[in-house]
Amino acid sequence: MKKRILSMLLVLVMAVSMLAGCGTGSGNATANFDVPEGGYDGSEVTITFYHTMGQNLRDVLDLYIAEFNKLYPNIHIVHEQVGSYDDVREQIATQITTGAQPNIAYCYPDHVAMYNISKAVVTLDNLIASEEVVTRADGTTETLGLTKEQIDDFIAGYYNEGKEFGDDLMYTLPLSKSTEVLYYNKTFFEENNLSVPKTWDELEALCKKIKEIDPTSIPLGYDSEANWFITMCEQLGTDYTSATGDHYLFDNEENHAFVKEFREWYQSGLLTTQTLYGAYTSGLFTNSDPSSATSYMSIGSSAGATHQRPAKGEDGNYPFEVGIATIPQADPENPKVISQGPSLCIFQKENPQEVIASWLFVKFLTTNVDFQAEFSSASGYVPVLKSVAEHEGYKAFLDSADGGDNIAALSAKICMEQEEAYYTSPAFNGSSTARDEVGALLTKCLSAETSDVDALIKEAFADAIDECEYNE
Amino acid sequence: MTTSKKNIVMREKDMQKVSAQQKVVQALVKVGVYAFLLVMALIVLFPFYWMLISSVKTLEEYRMSVPTFWPQKIMLSNYVEAFTTANLGRLFLNTLYVGLVSTLLSLVITILCAFAFARLEFKGKETLFGLMLATMMIPGELFTITNYQTVTQLGWLNTFTVLIVPFLVSVFYIYLLKQNFMQIPNELYLAAKVDGTSDIKYLCKVMIPLALPTLISITILKMMGAWNSYIWPRLVANDAEHRLITNGLRNAFTETTGDVNYPVQMAAVAIVSAPLFLVFIFLRKYIMAGVSRSGIKG
Amino acid sequence: MVDNKQQWKAWLYLSPAIILLLVFTVWPIINTLRMAFLEGYSAQAEVGGATFEFGIGNFLKVIEYKKFLQCMQNTILLCVLTVPISTLLALLIAVALNSIKGLQKILQTIFFLPYVTNSIAIGMVFAAMFNIVGSFHGTENEIIQTAGIINNVIEFFGGERVNWINAGSQYWANITVMVVYIVWNALPFKILVLLGGLQSINAQYYDAAKVDGTSRSRVFARITVPLLSPMLAYVIITGFIGGFKEYTSIVGIFGETMGPPDAPGRLNTMVGFVYEALENKHQGRASAAALILFVIILIVTRLNMRFGKKSVYY
Repeated sequence: MKKRILSMLLVLVMAVSMLAGCGTGSGNATANFDVPEGGYDGSEVTITFYHTMGQNLRDVLDLYIAEFNKLYPNIHIVHEQVGSYDDVREQIATQITTGAQPNIAYCYPDHVAMYNISKAVVTLDNLIASEEVVTRADGTTETLGLTKEQIDDFIAGYYNEGKEFGDDLMYTLPLSKSTEVLYYNKTFFEENNLSVPKTWDELEALCKKIKEIDPTSIPLGYDSEANWFITMCEQLGTDYTSATGDHYLFDNEENHAFVKEFREWYQSGLLTTQTLYGAYTSGLFTNSDPSSATSYMSIGSSAGATHQRPAKGEDGNYPFEVGIATIPQADPENPKVISQGPSLCIFQKENPQEVIASWLFVKFLTTNVDFQAEFSSASGYVPVLKSVAEHEGYKAFLDSADGGDNIAALSAKICMEQEEAYYTSPAFNGSSTARDEVGALLTKCLSAETSDVDALIKEAFADAIDECEYNE
Repeated sequence: MTTSKKNIVMREKDMQKVSAQQKVVQALVKVGVYAFLLVMALIVLFPFYWMLISSVKTLEEYRMSVPTFWPQKIMLSNYVEAFTTANLGRLFLNTLYVGLVSTLLSLVITILCAFAFARLEFKGKETLFGLMLATMMIPGELFTITNYQTVTQLGWLNTFTVLIVPFLVSVFYIYLLKQNFMQIPNELYLAAKVDGTSDIKYLCKVMIPLALPTLISITILKMMGAWNSYIWPRLVANDAEHRLITNGLRNAFTETTGDVNYPVQMAAVAIVSAPLFLVFIFLRKYIMAGVSRSGIKG
Repeated sequence: MVDNKQQWKAWLYLSPAIILLLVFTVWPIINTLRMAFLEGYSAQAEVGGATFEFGIGNFLKVIEYKKFLQCMQNTILLCVLTVPISTLLALLIAVALNSIKGLQKILQTIFFLPYVTNSIAIGMVFAAMFNIVGSFHGTENEIIQTAGIINNVIEFFGGERVNWINAGSQYWANITVMVVYIVWNALPFKILVLLGGLQSINAQYYDAAKVDGTSRSRVFARITVPLLSPMLAYVIITGFIGGFKEYTSIVGIFGETMGPPDAPGRLNTMVGFVYEALENKHQGRASAAALILFVIILIVTRLNMRFGKKSVYY
């Protein structure tokens, strides 16, 4: 038996060395995309589009695919809900190895960074700049690229997310966005004459005050530790990561300092986070059972507004009214809030017409005001175009905003008002690990039992850096 | 002398006492045994109970920080919603088709293979069998990427073929059936050969009927596998025409916000588990027999 | 003698299986070896035009990883704890089931139910049972919303609540939860095999023991266990092989972070390590780790069998 295993191994090793000798396959992807002469030639192409939309959003999409096909009847769009964002990423990453990837996909910057290892994502710069004129089925024409007005209509923070890959090239266009907002118990705030905090210092003072009013409360719940850390770096102007050169820069004195401060807040019972609490902090915020703890503020996704609303009581009224505001800032004059939500990227294909057709569709979705308005009202996400605010249907939606039945509109309204504040962090292969690691590191530093806080923080940062570098 | 007589009398008395004592002990043991089994059964059942009550809760109640052990309001509509949103009918049919075809083909391949290993003599038999057994010890996840490349090159993406062919051969089933075939006396085969009966005829007339319980077990396990498979189908055939039940379920309940209606999902899981439970209850004997011999899950 | 016709026939019968195995099993194995010995191999990067040197860098990278030892330790610890506990418990339940008449069929069915379930879904239920919702566990500012059903039971009997899986929980508490869940999961198969074995033991042995007036415990130790030893050996070996591949049960309880929120990866296992490498598109590293795991399983199985041969009574 032993001999047999040995001989087996030998055969296998030989096979391996032979294969290794053959060398590895060559890539066929090009770093950039050149627009062919004449742009779209009207040929029949089928475009596949991977996303995560639920049924209600797919219905909206189908409506606008029909609109698109009035202009381009030969471009057939096949779209598919693959699962969650992670499912989309995993599926495409595998499909790329055989060239079977879709034409268009929902993406986060981290995903694109991963696809970029395979050089599979089309850079959009040449397409955006193209001045080719395309004739549509209804006889009208359009410029293949984006006009200056179209570019300017994008909310800058969202548009620039497409360029965060360290090479100044454009890889994605934003589709719909969300951010973090501060939800607060407006009824409680008014009863106790409290004002909404604009800075972190004000927040700390406010939390202490609330703790005096209601000693069994946890004044603030923050859902995402990772977002908190990254947003603090952005607000304070300290180093987090870089898309070029040394990637992981977050182990520095300034960052140690805010982590230490937050630990004190946590230890004195001023706040909690989702993982520390063991459940969504919205549950704490919407809790109307007087016998258990509640929170009076909650920082969470703007797209999840309906979950921050308490259940109606017996009398059919909400037990309290919810207010929504921009999250606290280090410098209120120069606010920073994170930009999240799906963008669209286009994949390399052998037939350049498929790429051009994909681009036409992506351009249609991202610059069509009607679609943006309808999609945003249906999803709770925020449109990426400034002009949507002038759209009649969407205006009516925003005007209906209140802290009860129409809380989604209220959330969208706040997001629209802070359009100057959006930032995105650099994306590179490993940026998602960095994100996970800083989230875990903050969680650990807030809660771990220790006699030497500084040593704990130092070690946690060093570990996180190690882990990032190992997984790169 | 007297002392020894006395002893004997004493011992008899003791014996009587002991047997009375024994009866009490036996009764106590019996109570203990039942108590132990019932407590263990409750522990085993609790998670299922949890799944069922979660499936009829409202989303608000499900998300409550203090979980309720009995739903405040029973939402049977969750089941209706689960059935309609997931388009379960089509998914059931697809899964059934893939399950049946792959089971049938798999049985043919397994029977031929087991027959060769159990009844025929050929060079390298032992080595080949040993090698086949060794492949079972490698974590299957590693195969995914290579197999994905293979089926893409074969042009099988989004077909039923890709869901059926790559997993037709199971070394474990071959092993199982081979053991079973070997218990059938060789004389029968030799006699059949003298009579001029063909192998196939002999297989159909003698071997298969004798090994029927094992074959039924394999069938059921294979069907369960089709029912539960997830990672591979998601990767290679995730279009509406070929989607299988587990994927369909998962896709139907993912929303853009990443917020899932868990009670409805639990209801869907319960619906999908129901056929498995029914099959299990009616064919318990065969499943248990098959599992105890193979040790393979689904 | 081996006659030629048989040879020819045998290979004909085997051919469908062999062809399929070559394409869908053997080729992936060879490809795994290729990936393991190409330094830093990544299929995604290969498509992007990267080339890789032949070498053992992947293996070094796996071994030098700080948490690799932790992964090994968790895997082995869980194996060493769960296999004996679940085997013993399964043995007790099987013997108990075998000794009763009423309710036997129903109880047998109940004990088999966990087998027909999805371990990740049920894992979520288990996690909910152990989960504490609240904040600042163990400090004077402590606020507990709900301590989880398990803690409720402990407190009901006058015990102290334990932080099982949340931030700030201890390693031993995490392991305890995992052991409970894995044992729960492993019971049906073991009970089934052992009960099958018990039912095939000839009743004459027991009758003889009864006549001799042998005590219950003696009967158990001297008759039941030896006669059951092939089945015991079988469930122990398969238990160890399964134990070394432990992964989904941990995802079920702790999610993809493989540990409590403040210590991600604390409960990571060997297979978890392979998955993580695959997730990060380091297929070379994943292949190397899988090969290491394969060798370990091979060694343990052989040790088990050698040990088994000495103690199994046929």
